[in-house]
Amino acid sequence: MGSLFREIKFALKDRIVFICLIGVALLSTYSLVAGLQESASEHAMIERTNDLVTQDRQYNLAKQSDAGGAAYYSFHFAYDPPSSLAFVARGVRDDLPWKHRIRMLALEGQIYETDTGNPELSKIGKLDFAFVAAFLLPLLSILLLYDLRAIEIRNNRWAFLSITVGNGNRLLLSRAALRSGLLYISLIVPLIIIALFSGAGFSGTLLVAAAVALNCVFWCLLAYWVFTRIESGPTTAAILLGCWFFLAVAIPVGGKYAVEKSIKVPSGGEILLMQREAVNDAWDLPKKATMTPFFERHPQWANTADVTKPFEWKWYYAFQQVGDQTVEPLSQSLRSAIARRDKAMGLVSLASLPLLTERLLSQAARTDVASFQRYESCVRDFHQRLREFHYPMLFGEVEYSLEHMTQLPDFKPCL
Amino acid sequence: MKTAITIAAQEWRYWSRTKLASAVALLAFILICTSVFATFSQVAKEKDTRETLQIKAEETFRDQPARHPHRMVHYGHYVFRTPTSLAALDPGVDPFTGTVMFLEGHRQNSATFSPSYDGAQAGPFSRLTPALTYQLLLPLVLIVMGFGVVAREREAATDRQLVTSGISPISIWLGKTLALGSVAFLLLLPMLAGVALSESNWSIGLGFFALYFFYVLVWVLIITAVSTWSQRTSVSLLILLSIWLILCVLLPRLVAGAAATAIPDTSQIETDMDVIMALRSVGDGHNSRDPAFDRLKANLLQEYGVKRVEDLPINFRGAVAQAAEADLTAILNEYADKRIAGQRVQTQLVKSYEFVSPFIALQSASMVAAGTDARTHHRFLREAEAVRFQFVQDLNKVHEHKMAYVDDINRNRDTDAARRTRVDSENWRVLRDFRFNADPADTRLERLFSSYAVILIWLMVFAIAGLLGARRLPEVNHG
Repeated sequence: MGSLFREIKFALKDRIVFICLIGVALLSTYSLVAGLQESASEHAMIERTNDLVTQDRQYNLAKQSDAGGAAYYSFHFAYDPPSSLAFVARGVRDDLPWKHRIRMLALEGQIYETDTGNPELSKIGKLDFAFVAAFLLPLLSILLLYDLRAIEIRNNRWAFLSITVGNGNRLLLSRAALRSGLLYISLIVPLIIIALFSGAGFSGTLLVAAAVALNCVFWCLLAYWVFTRIESGPTTAAILLGCWFFLAVAIPVGGKYAVEKSIKVPSGGEILLMQREAVNDAWDLPKKATMTPFFERHPQWANTADVTKPFEWKWYYAFQQVGDQTVEPLSQSLRSAIARRDKAMGLVSLASLPLLTERLLSQAARTDVASFQRYESCVRDFHQRLREFHYPMLFGEVEYSLEHMTQLPDFKPCL
Repeated sequence: MKTAITIAAQEWRYWSRTKLASAVALLAFILICTSVFATFSQVAKEKDTRETLQIKAEETFRDQPARHPHRMVHYGHYVFRTPTSLAALDPGVDPFTGTVMFLEGHRQNSATFSPSYDGAQAGPFSRLTPALTYQLLLPLVLIVMGFGVVAREREAATDRQLVTSGISPISIWLGKTLALGSVAFLLLLPMLAGVALSESNWSIGLGFFALYFFYVLVWVLIITAVSTWSQRTSVSLLILLSIWLILCVLLPRLVAGAAATAIPDTSQIETDMDVIMALRSVGDGHNSRDPAFDRLKANLLQEYGVKRVEDLPINFRGAVAQAAEADLTAILNEYADKRIAGQRVQTQLVKSYEFVSPFIALQSASMVAAGTDARTHHRFLREAEAVRFQFVQDLNKVHEHKMAYVDDINRNRDTDAARRTRVDSENWRVLRDFRFNADPADTRLERLFSSYAVILIWLMVFAIAGLLGARRLPEVNHG
């Protein structure tokens, strides 16, 4: 025990180690606090917008005299609230949509609406905890560890050390482990404090801490493996930096390239164009061309009155749905391709620990691609419920009344 | 100068002897070539696709059959942002903004389908464009090769030999700088080739390349300066790696985060809601009985000297649609301008840190030179909006003049009236062609002046730092 304290004192006396550890603790705290702020502002934004959209809906509903107008002017706010651990990893929340204002028109025309902020800021990227723990931690480990043996050799202490402790390498391993341990502590203590303070889930926090520990141990062992084989400090550093580049940059870039080449996605632009054509063509087509495919999905309305006027609401909403039906295969294959690409990147990440760490963190934070897709299908389900609510009124089974409109489904996030 | 060249040649020989340096340089060269080639072909393909889609969208619009003009207002149109020629080297914000925009009546949609929507998510360094390779990784390569250029001599006490043999410390520094600079220049050759292949306007091509040339030179000077001041190679390496980490990795992200917090961006939905609230005073253009249009009605009745809207020689509904669209657009533009202005302040705030980090200086200047900055994207949004407003209003004019009001109000009930409100496909020719181009080369070069100035200041600071360090060479050694 005494020797451990001696080594800790020894390590902290090294000004560089000390500065580095303080720096890491500050960075970690900064990234977590910034993440918390982001979550808080998202919650506030959701609440504000939800109120505005609800008020607007009620204002418009009061003026409607029929079911068609009521559906046309009723917007709903759909959103994916940040999870209690969202402050750990920003994930895809800046790239992919997590909020929508939707109504009962064709969903395919609405669901790809992505509200991103300043692209120049997105390009630079965020300094979230995941970035610090997954990509920066290896660099800092390299900075702290590469010179451990070389400095002893330079100062002519290596031979002496090896003799006195019997096995110099074992001493160096424990020193490396100690430094990595201190690095880990300065990174993870702010996380634990903030997780406790913000009420984040225990198991999620534990998972994050474990994933980061894995990354930390790996870089410690890798550094040890390299510096025990290479005498020169700078060469050790160069080799370790090369490893970092290979694992943190080259594999993700190469993997992304390979994954995108091998798993094709249908063009989103094409889905939009096709959907627009389908919806707009319907105006000029005989009403039957719309109603037949519609009734195939909804046989329960097949025996209702024919559409005779140039414009009837039920026909209008039928062709909105038929527009969605037309692009359904494309849209489904887009979604499944995104899921397959994500799965393939999961495999790629097995070869890149930094990437794996980041993925694990955003999984725990529910800011990964899978969470985005869960949200998207939640919006689709809600839109479906809207249709199921409005169709009976449009097809005359239920009479339109403001009173009945109070039962209009309300969007609830799927957790 | 001649001695400096000899020193540089010696350094080259040293590098060719050490496996590490040659391996690093070779790998860097391969990496850079790959990135130039990959980005090049990808952007060329994107450009082709978007140009084709743009033409197709215009043809499809103009080929629509006869129908009610308001249907065309909602049928809408698509515009695509085609990448500039230098986007092949610095795609800038392109992967982060939507590339296609749907234009329709009564709405300003945001650009949808950014390449990151369906792209594989591969972490923060997954977009290794030539620009980023040069901005972020080349300095690291140069550090690994050059941290010891002078410190190594000092550590082995060979600097003393050099000085006593009559070589001035300045020549040592100059020679080492020359050596590292020539490596850097070799590594810049793929970029030069890329510029020559992609940009036909030589002045902007040269302006773009010069940015990278000076930036790389700044790093060469940083490295030789630190190496000259350091007593030991290990200290030099540690300091240089920390500088790189702070200037290229941490600071830009910290500043971007600070900018986002200092100037919060309102979300599109919130802006939409604000617009809706503001619009309640403007009136719904679909409903000509909206009391908001009473004044318009009174004015028109007076102008034509009639008592009822049915007696007007024009279609009142078309007049309402035009007036409503104009009022609405004014409000939409006001909010869009507000949002763009906010983003510009954010960008400016980040840019102001160019005096702290050459990385930030180059990153923003490079996008300006390539025409792939947020400002250009904002111009795209504005130009697309101009196209939208023009075709919607032209269609509304058709709506006003080419049908009878009575037919128009009865078209949903009466099939004959509906037929009479359909206008000929000829009318869809009101749509103008849309070709998005970057700002002219001169304008972009003008905007670059301040960036050149900043980078030149960086050059001078580190040249002086290196020279001052070089003057310490013999004294330090004796002490």
